[in-house]
Amino acid sequence: MKVYVINGPNINLLGTREPEIYGYDTLESIATKCREFGSHNGIDVEFMQSNYEGKLVDFIQDAITNAIDVIIINAAAYTHSSIAIHDALKSFSGYKIELHISNPHLRESFRHTTFVAPAADAVVAGLGADGYSHAIELLVNLPVLQNKAK
Amino acid sequence: MKNKLLILNGPGLSDLSIYDEFYGSISLSMIEEKCTEICIDIGLNLDFRQTDDEDELFSFLLKDSDGFDAVIINPVGYSHALTAELERYRLAIHTLTLHKKPVIEVHIANIFKQGTDITKPLQAPEGEMGFVSGFGIYSYVLAIKAINSKLSKT
Repeated sequence: MKVYVINGPNINLLGTREPEIYGYDTLESIATKCREFGSHNGIDVEFMQSNYEGKLVDFIQDAITNAIDVIIINAAAYTHSSIAIHDALKSFSGYKIELHISNPHLRESFRHTTFVAPAADAVVAGLGADGYSHAIELLVNLPVLQNKAK
Repeated sequence: MKNKLLILNGPGLSDLSIYDEFYGSISLSMIEEKCTEICIDIGLNLDFRQTDDEDELFSFLLKDSDGFDAVIINPVGYSHALTAELERYRLAIHTLTLHKKPVIEVHIANIFKQGTDITKPLQAPEGEMGFVSGFGIYSYVLAIKAINSKLSKT
């Protein structure tokens, strides 16, 4: 199974940016943990990050071209504004998970709208940096992905 | 001593046939079975409840949750409730998070998807609450595992 974990603006600052909200784990340490789990469970995990909206659209289109099975996307602040990301996700026919480290619905009202979730299959939020590894671990058992395993 | 987890299921979850189209045929007893299996596996004490009565759900949330280390709640169509009821929900969740108890809201369907737009996410005034939606029965599985890793860190 091939998985892209796509991360949006400011996620490269994880570990230093408002750690009381986002925690002390860096994106690299999260990625290492997820890749390690993946390598033992037949999942090829690739992490990517960009601060640019169009680059995130490119990542999603790459997932289509490369026949990726699952996209886990933390579009960060673009979640609440990007119709381009919404449209790109709609063109991807694999399994899609929206992910957030914090729970946007408990925060400022400008974070309550999501353009990503309606184009996704499922949503994980507010589980901290562990949300990434929990989501990846779940892929092994998810019935809808059973034919993609190994 | 094993940590105690309370899983609450709100009104309407006794009949899950509306989810057939997305998640295949599932029932509340299948969810309970799966949750029990996972909890035994990871060593959590589970109390799994469902009620069609809003008042009973509040009572579970406000009074009974005292005896538990963590709560997972599927509030179903809570956002359709009256304003006063919403405030009660918020207050109940807020109280739990103030006690630093992990709370996760789960939904079987992706509640943001067109056609499954049954509710909005709970909004607690502050504190932490996780949110998992759209994995079918596996929304509960993910939530239990997340609760377990939170509890094992504290």
